[in-house]
Amino acid sequence: MSGLPGTGLPGIEHGAVLLHTLRCAGWCAVERLAVATGLDEATTESELIDLAVAGLVTRTSGAFAAWGLTDAGRAANAERIAAELESAGTRPALLAAFERFLVLNPELLDLCAAWQLRPVDGVLTANDHSDPSYDARVVARFEDLDRRAEAVCADLAGALPRFGRYRVRLAEALGRARAGERRYLADGTASYHAVWAELHEDLLVTLGIPR
Amino acid sequence: MRWIRPLSARTGESAAVIGAKAHGLVTLHRLGLPVPAGFVVTTEACRAFLRDGRLPGGLADELASAVRDLEAATGRRFGGPGTPLAVSVRSGAGVSMPGMMHTVLNLGLTAEAAAGLAAETGDVRFAEDSRRRFLASLAAATGDARLAIPGDPAAQLELAVRTVFASWDTPRARTYRELHDIPHDLGTAVIVQAMVYGNRDGRSGTGVAFSRDPTTGENTPFGDVLFGHQGEDVVSGRSLTLPLRELAGREPAVWAALAGALRRVERHYRDACYAEFTFQAGELWMLQVRPGGLTGGAAVRVATELAGEGLISRREALLRVSPQQLRHVRTPRLAASARAAVVARGVGACPGVASGRVATSTEAAVRMAASGPVILVRPETSPHDMRGLAAAAGIVTARGGPASHAAVVARSMGKPAVVGVAGLVVGAGSVTAGGRIIEEGALVTIDGSGGEVALGSAPVSTDEAGPHLRRLLAWADDVSGGDPAGDEAARLAAAHAALRTP
Repeated sequence: MSGLPGTGLPGIEHGAVLLHTLRCAGWCAVERLAVATGLDEATTESELIDLAVAGLVTRTSGAFAAWGLTDAGRAANAERIAAELESAGTRPALLAAFERFLVLNPELLDLCAAWQLRPVDGVLTANDHSDPSYDARVVARFEDLDRRAEAVCADLAGALPRFGRYRVRLAEALGRARAGERRYLADGTASYHAVWAELHEDLLVTLGIPR
Repeated sequence: MRWIRPLSARTGESAAVIGAKAHGLVTLHRLGLPVPAGFVVTTEACRAFLRDGRLPGGLADELASAVRDLEAATGRRFGGPGTPLAVSVRSGAGVSMPGMMHTVLNLGLTAEAAAGLAAETGDVRFAEDSRRRFLASLAAATGDARLAIPGDPAAQLELAVRTVFASWDTPRARTYRELHDIPHDLGTAVIVQAMVYGNRDGRSGTGVAFSRDPTTGENTPFGDVLFGHQGEDVVSGRSLTLPLRELAGREPAVWAALAGALRRVERHYRDACYAEFTFQAGELWMLQVRPGGLTGGAAVRVATELAGEGLISRREALLRVSPQQLRHVRTPRLAASARAAVVARGVGACPGVASGRVATSTEAAVRMAASGPVILVRPETSPHDMRGLAAAAGIVTARGGPASHAAVVARSMGKPAVVGVAGLVVGAGSVTAGGRIIEEGALVTIDGSGGEVALGSAPVSTDEAGPHLRRLLAWADDVSGGDPAGDEAARLAAAHAALRTP
């Protein structure tokens, strides 16, 4: 089994990665899981089927068909994540980086709101993206925040290498937005906002902090 | 004094020097309304701090002197132990930057002073609650939970002033200014006032009030009140607030004083106003006032009614409503006939009205969406709720503001959303709102502009401001000779152009 793309980590089992991604991102379709983990779709699906046979994940059908954890899957992941942090011995470093993440979190949310809404004549109005200078200012602030987030992500990955994957996904979202695919800022499950929210959830899950 | 101005009717400084909030407090003084005694440290002192990295020379002495004046005015002692004086320390820039900077309450309540307050009031719990709030608000303002808080009240005050000044330059505040075209070199003033305690007893509390209903523009005071608490609890949405009119029954004298104060500030500003207030043992204190801020149909109604009352001219009424506002007038809203069915209010995060059956979890939302529209109701949302958010026709959360996860995702999906509904409790299979239990599967209607949640399938209207809008546009046509059959925003824009031509 090869490592997880973007982390430079050999030896992490794909199944464990998928299990943890489902714990942080909630119910997902195969395509989204593949994007989140960096695995290809065929590998993702085949691993999911193995996990389902083991009773750790399940699949729903219908309009919102998706894969999700069973109770046993959630318990298995919780045990693994706790053991991982215990053996790394880096809880204080992770906690310190999490506190720096929390300083950035409201600013990121402000930026997403500013991307969607802007004051026009004193009225908060849906941003119709007809003013390139306003949009450019918001993107510039995203880039400024991303530079500070990069330092925090480096600290997180220093404490637990699997957090390196978020840096790759955030950079990719911002890169696509910068290249003109502006929906990668705040719309959809591969956007900067969505990846950031998954990172937030992962930190809470990993540190055992309730919402 | 060079860096400090008293807060009084005689203070003649502009909002650029003392900040908009202090400027409003000076106006309240001039109108003869009750304002806690206090003083303001100028934006110039903030600019000096930001330039030099320390408080300007002489400010410490001026603070000590201003505190002595405050002691004389209140007959209390800063830091106690007998009849202790505590103060609030609030930011107040020349332009509004909501939520960007911090407030410290009950400063000066050292352990000794808190004991003095307990002895004075005979209420140990009140004194301890107040000291706890002081420690928590100072720690939150400095962003340092392990902060060693000085025991000396003068040192506490200097720390709080430095902290508020420094908050001007946080990256988040810089981002806010970049996005709103606010120069970085203005700085903020700091307002220091004698505390009035909304948590003093059962006849105390705090609240926010609009002189007219901000949803409809109707000429009746509107807002929230919270008994037995201090100001930050209302704004944070942590506690269950009551509709403002509850004040009329429980504290009729406070209600009468507040209604009178709102009328007086409206006459002064010749506009609808927003105010923050506290009442202590049945006595009203005004903490903040600012005019305007109503949007859409409410702005249209207020402008035409103020002209009808003779407070402003028709010309001014026309200029108060921007053509941009008219775009929002036609956004679907809960009809006036549905107001009685409203059971909860929060912050409108994505405009539009949606009706559907209450689902309290993502799983339920996905399951129920197969047989009809669903309103997803959650404490707050996280990535786990993405499927539920996708399946739902509308979203309601108990916590969070306009930039919360739920708000950002709802807007990206174009779904009506109401966030930050104080007092909403989401249980397994039911929710409690406004003291009523709403079972999963019950039909509700939400309005993502006004932030209302109503029971049942409530009627929707796109003409709530109808008669007022028609009157305003008739005035517009009189001015411009415009075409009554034309586009509404174009008719108003033509009137603006005619009025601005010298």
